[in-house]
Amino acid sequence: MSANATLLVPSRSRGWRMGLANMLDKEMGAFWRTRRWWVQCLIALLLLNGSLALNLKGGQRVDNAGLNFLVIAALGVPVAAISLAQDSILGERHSGTAAWVLSKPLRRPAYVLAKTIAHGLGLLVAWIVLPGAVAYFQLASPTGGQLSALRIAGIMGLDYLNLLFYLTLALMLATFFNGRGPVLGIALVLAWSGPMPFISEPIQKYVPWLYDVLPWRLLIDFNYNRPLAGYLANGQPLPTVVPIIATALWCVLFTGVAIWRISREEF
Amino acid sequence: MASSTPFVIETHGLSKTYKGVQALKPLDLYVQQNSICGFLGPNGAGKTTTIKLLLGLARPTGGSGRVFGRDIEQENDEIRHRVGYLSQDPRFYEYMTARETLRFTARFFYEGPKAEIESRVAETLALVGLADKADRPIKGFSGGERQRLGIAQAQVNYPDLLILDEPAASLDPIGRRDVLEVLSRLRKHTTIFYSTHILDDVQRVSDTVVILNKGALVAQGPIEELLARGQAAVFTLTIKGDSASVEARLRSQPWVTGMEEMSRNGRVCWQIRVSDPEVAEAELVPLALAGGGVTVCEFGCKVQNLEDVFLSIVKENNHER
Repeated sequence: MSANATLLVPSRSRGWRMGLANMLDKEMGAFWRTRRWWVQCLIALLLLNGSLALNLKGGQRVDNAGLNFLVIAALGVPVAAISLAQDSILGERHSGTAAWVLSKPLRRPAYVLAKTIAHGLGLLVAWIVLPGAVAYFQLASPTGGQLSALRIAGIMGLDYLNLLFYLTLALMLATFFNGRGPVLGIALVLAWSGPMPFISEPIQKYVPWLYDVLPWRLLIDFNYNRPLAGYLANGQPLPTVVPIIATALWCVLFTGVAIWRISREEF
Repeated sequence: MASSTPFVIETHGLSKTYKGVQALKPLDLYVQQNSICGFLGPNGAGKTTTIKLLLGLARPTGGSGRVFGRDIEQENDEIRHRVGYLSQDPRFYEYMTARETLRFTARFFYEGPKAEIESRVAETLALVGLADKADRPIKGFSGGERQRLGIAQAQVNYPDLLILDEPAASLDPIGRRDVLEVLSRLRKHTTIFYSTHILDDVQRVSDTVVILNKGALVAQGPIEELLARGQAAVFTLTIKGDSASVEARLRSQPWVTGMEEMSRNGRVCWQIRVSDPEVAEAELVPLALAGGGVTVCEFGCKVQNLEDVFLSIVKENNHER
């Protein structure tokens, strides 16, 4: 035994926060202290800003190029969130690392929250802030600096809410299913059925209210309603905030259900 | 200890059923403080299930359990603060180094100071012989190195109870010896509850033994008691000559409960299980020689080891079912 054993200060955190700080630090490290951060940043820049650059170079009008940027964000950002999130919990359940860390003084809510927060922050920088900032400069130069940074920030805020929806959804699904198929399948179908015209048309016809309670209207809308991002881009007041509130509530609900489910999981 | 119980682990009728299959039948288990308790049983006996129930990784279907006097379901957070655990197949975050893994583990137990945590980590790495590989990513580790790291992370918090599920499973003989040394060294400070298939190791370091078979407890107690249970009830007899008539003569004795031929190489060697060791000791050789034409080459009382006791208990238990 070490002579300095008494100098160590035992951890005092208890309740749902037990182990949260350490687990969060580990999750942040898994993003920022590995190559994951620059890989994600690179993919986001190539996909979002690369396509924007091509559109602008191809002579597209700034508003059309901006719209295309939103289309790619609406389709691509959820994929990044879903693929990272599903592997985070499902991969650990399969490998046995989840059982290992949960045998330590770590509460299960803290385990889920650490993953949600760390992925949420990592993806915020890689897929929202960085491409958003670059997109601002890409779009600002052809408009002679007329583009409002505040509007871009608002649009990227909607983009982030959309991302959080799919991140928390995938984390929740990963606590329910053992296979990657159902997690990826359900999350991706949900992510793409709103923007895809051939799927969204019947939804618009039979269950149009889904557009108010899901994040589909936040960024793009190929049908009747203009997306909320479009209003922000044009400097117009938002016609409704219901999709924003509903999406935020879904994120809270998904996280709550993920915590409930993992608390009942046996390893 | 939180309560006055002398037992670090105490379960009453603890059971677990998975999808209609009873993995653990009602178990009454007692492990005393500062003992090394070997947890034995064939594959699928319920050892890992018991360990997972104690750690809160699985929920009991019936019964109850207490560790340090605390309920394994209601007060598991407090239990995990005082326990070190090594799983059967330890898995860690592959991108981390051994040092980072131990630092991460230690921070679940300690808030700081950083320098003291680093010192504890270094000390633990040295203890398991990983100091020279401390800053290598785990993904390059061999099975034995992973196992050593597993032992290190299990005891980085100097736990009051160390639960090890097959700690020497993937180690070479030197690694196994080192693990046993570590366990022996730790016994002064901690209680060790470990499952294993290596019965020789259990006999070398354990104070008490718990044997499970098909999800049920079949034996529990100090190792000497268990070894004494079958002592002097088995004799070995090696003869040269007409073995068939000797065998028939011995088998006809009411106190001979079983005969097993061990080898036949010009000589025949039997292991003879008897119900009355005193009569057997006096009568076996005269009976063997009674027909003439036979030479007794060797005769003795077989010294039981844990493997014999374990196999006999499990066999007996399987016949009863």
